[in-house]
Amino acid sequence: MNRDLRSEARILPIVALVVVAFGFFARGDANLMQAGTFAAIDAVAAIGLGVLLGNVAQISIGQAGFFGIGGYALAYLTTAVTWPASVPPWAQFFAGTLAGTVLAAAFGVLLGLIALRFKGHYLAMATLAFGLIATGVFRISSALGGASGLQNIPYAQLGSLSISGVAAFWYAWAMVALVAGLTFNLLRGRTGRAFEAIRNDELAAEAIGVPTRRFKIVAFTFAGALAGFAGSFYSSYLGLIEPTGVSVNFSVDLLLMVVLGGAGRISGAILGAAIVGLTNVYGHNLENWRPVIYGLLVIAIVIGFPRGLIGIVPRRRRAASPAIAPANGEVAAAPAMPLRTPVGSGDAPWLTVEHATKRFGGLVAVDDVSFTLESGKLTSLIGPNGAGKTTLFNAICGIGRVTSGRVLVAGRDVTTWQPHRIAELGVGRSFQNARLFADMTVLENVVAGAFRAETASLVSDLLALPASRRSGALALELAREALARLELEALADVRAGDLAFGDRRRVELARAMAARPGLLLVDEPAAGLNAGERRRLREDLLRLREGGMTLLLIEHDMRLVMDVSDRVMVLKFGKLIADGLPARVRDDPGVIAAYLGTAV
Amino acid sequence: MLQLVVAGLTVGSGYALVALGIHIILRATRAINFAQGEFVILGGLLAYGAVTWLHASVWLALALATLLGFVLGLAYERFVLRPAARVGELAVTIASVGTIYVLLYGHALVWGSLPQPLPYFSGVAEDVKWRVFGTEIAAQQAWVLGLLLLALVVLYAFFERTTYGKAVRAASDNPLGARLIGIDVDRARAISVAIAIALAAFGGTIIGPITLVGGAAGIGISIKGFVGGILGGLDSPVGCTLGGLVVGVVEKLLEGGAGYGIADPVVYSLLLVMLIVRPQGLFGTRRAVRD
Repeated sequence: MNRDLRSEARILPIVALVVVAFGFFARGDANLMQAGTFAAIDAVAAIGLGVLLGNVAQISIGQAGFFGIGGYALAYLTTAVTWPASVPPWAQFFAGTLAGTVLAAAFGVLLGLIALRFKGHYLAMATLAFGLIATGVFRISSALGGASGLQNIPYAQLGSLSISGVAAFWYAWAMVALVAGLTFNLLRGRTGRAFEAIRNDELAAEAIGVPTRRFKIVAFTFAGALAGFAGSFYSSYLGLIEPTGVSVNFSVDLLLMVVLGGAGRISGAILGAAIVGLTNVYGHNLENWRPVIYGLLVIAIVIGFPRGLIGIVPRRRRAASPAIAPANGEVAAAPAMPLRTPVGSGDAPWLTVEHATKRFGGLVAVDDVSFTLESGKLTSLIGPNGAGKTTLFNAICGIGRVTSGRVLVAGRDVTTWQPHRIAELGVGRSFQNARLFADMTVLENVVAGAFRAETASLVSDLLALPASRRSGALALELAREALARLELEALADVRAGDLAFGDRRRVELARAMAARPGLLLVDEPAAGLNAGERRRLREDLLRLREGGMTLLLIEHDMRLVMDVSDRVMVLKFGKLIADGLPARVRDDPGVIAAYLGTAV
Repeated sequence: MLQLVVAGLTVGSGYALVALGIHIILRATRAINFAQGEFVILGGLLAYGAVTWLHASVWLALALATLLGFVLGLAYERFVLRPAARVGELAVTIASVGTIYVLLYGHALVWGSLPQPLPYFSGVAEDVKWRVFGTEIAAQQAWVLGLLLLALVVLYAFFERTTYGKAVRAASDNPLGARLIGIDVDRARAISVAIAIALAAFGGTIIGPITLVGGAAGIGISIKGFVGGILGGLDSPVGCTLGGLVVGVVEKLLEGGAGYGIADPVVYSLLLVMLIVRPQGLFGTRRAVRD
């Protein structure tokens, strides 16, 4: 659990107490009960948007569309459809709720698919358009009652109890409790770790094996489903639903609640919804001042307190993790092997590159390069700046596809694969500019690095099944092992963004090896390190090789390269000009010429 | 039919100016201003205020609204966009969405929520109409198109012909390089935003006599302007102008042919289709999308 979730675990019970106290003392006041009920309905939708915005850094200004889809689905099923007499009213209500939630989730998938194509502002515009289209369709559809909407929706019935008034208040807050619980579970599990990685750095998330596209769709679907769930109860509670009630203004209201309370925080979404809900009762004589103040508040909060009002609550200082450092030797003795041993990799070499060529327009960055790595060896790829080394790395891990030629990992042709799939085969990498997840601690970074070893499914995360916990425990164990092996335990609780440069490099190495990759690509690890740090790096690399890992290293530090490599390849203007034992390559006149620029 | 096209070109001029404003701000700050349409409404209402309170002529009102737009733009950049940009890209989006509420309900506080009429630019109570090719064209429609053209010429002259305009462009296209040769990038950004907002206010005033100004139309104007920009290519001023005009014409043809309620959802769907099929627009380059 990260800091935010630990804080949620403390705050949510307090929120529950406040709600219960409110429900008890305000039960006689119909206005307050109504405001409280609307606040709960909004909170359900806001929690979903909060996950999207705060945990995955994707925006939606179209949540009212999903809310409307849920509301209209229930309204249509309970008013326009004639049910057989054997179906009791409560079953109709739950059928409507289920249909509304599922339909909204389906549209969430659709919007998620669209969202994959855009970032930032374009996504915001696309979601805004989605919301407006939804309202427009509600307005012109005669089956949905056109501009006047659907009326006379019966109250939900549970047996003889009609869910209105005080009962509706408790029902709505039970919805919030359910949704808050599910969201908490989701964020605590493998899904939450994937979200955090995506929010911090999408490319690095892919490189550690997170299918970023799939998880973005999951987030949009989740947010859509919650908005639909909320909307279905809204129409039942209000007894009617009309296009103006689910217009773009409501989308903006939801965004405002989330930003106000704190994006990415369950209690923040609830707080935001409660504030807006209560000012709707006590502030109705403010008329247009209210939205003006909301707007100003949003601007002020987003600039001054990006973590929202809930972010002002001080977080408990973390106790030093006691269980982080098991005995050193014990861990070092653990067998270094890929967790999910790739199928048939027994004989196949870890990496084979065949006639790889990469063109950028007229420039040939990698020119017909072929090689095979011997398993368990450390091979270095050297060459002057601009020789195409990193381009070749990117082609191997799927970040930039080769123009022609093939890349085989463990015997499989991965030339056209997405990065996370290649990572899943057991390929880890570090980046030239150390792309750590800056907002996460060192331990959380390395836990994320163990992502591809994790096994929990979305459902087991949602329901906090044992599989979800096992998966998290496994990732934690692997992360601790990786930290121990690189002797980084002392830094476990430091925020990655606060690390010194040399430590950042080593933490990235730990993250890349946490899932025990079979093949590790390391891009210029020594750049910017001082002499002492370079010595440690040398030890780290040798230790990894001794563990049986196959390593491919890009490096400019010749002493390091000559010292640790079993084999050295030299790239010049995209062409492989030398390949062999370190000593041979060092004395190769062509290589000397490449570095010193003399004519051969 | 032709009548609808002319009507479409008129409202489309408004969208074109919004698209251009979005383009200028996007280029300078890499952010899309969701409140651009609200500034159109605000500009029209400022002109309306000048006419009703100061008894200004409509031309003076146009000048005042444009000038006030410029000043508001400076403030908007300084106190909303710039600080939000320091937090992050999402913060800019959210802050500009928050600005929608401030402006939308703020002007309702002053002028009420009903749209207000602006006087015709010809200075008459009933607008002059000409018959051209069997179609009635109102004098105001001619004014709108003429003034749009004037705005385009002025913009072109500023950005392409003056040293100052070139400096602003340089600051937008390559902030670091511009800084190195001594251009004040922050100021250039502020000027860009101010010009965009002045353009919005100008647009609101010239189409105001036809569409009336006020109410909750701003969000729709923002999006339709954005649709125009996406259609033509948000990194191409020519594309933005043509795209905005096309959106206006499509809207009016749909309203005339299929009824009022159809037009908006279809235009918004056009946005999604364009975003999916060709996000760089008809005249734009791929680079614009990924930035």
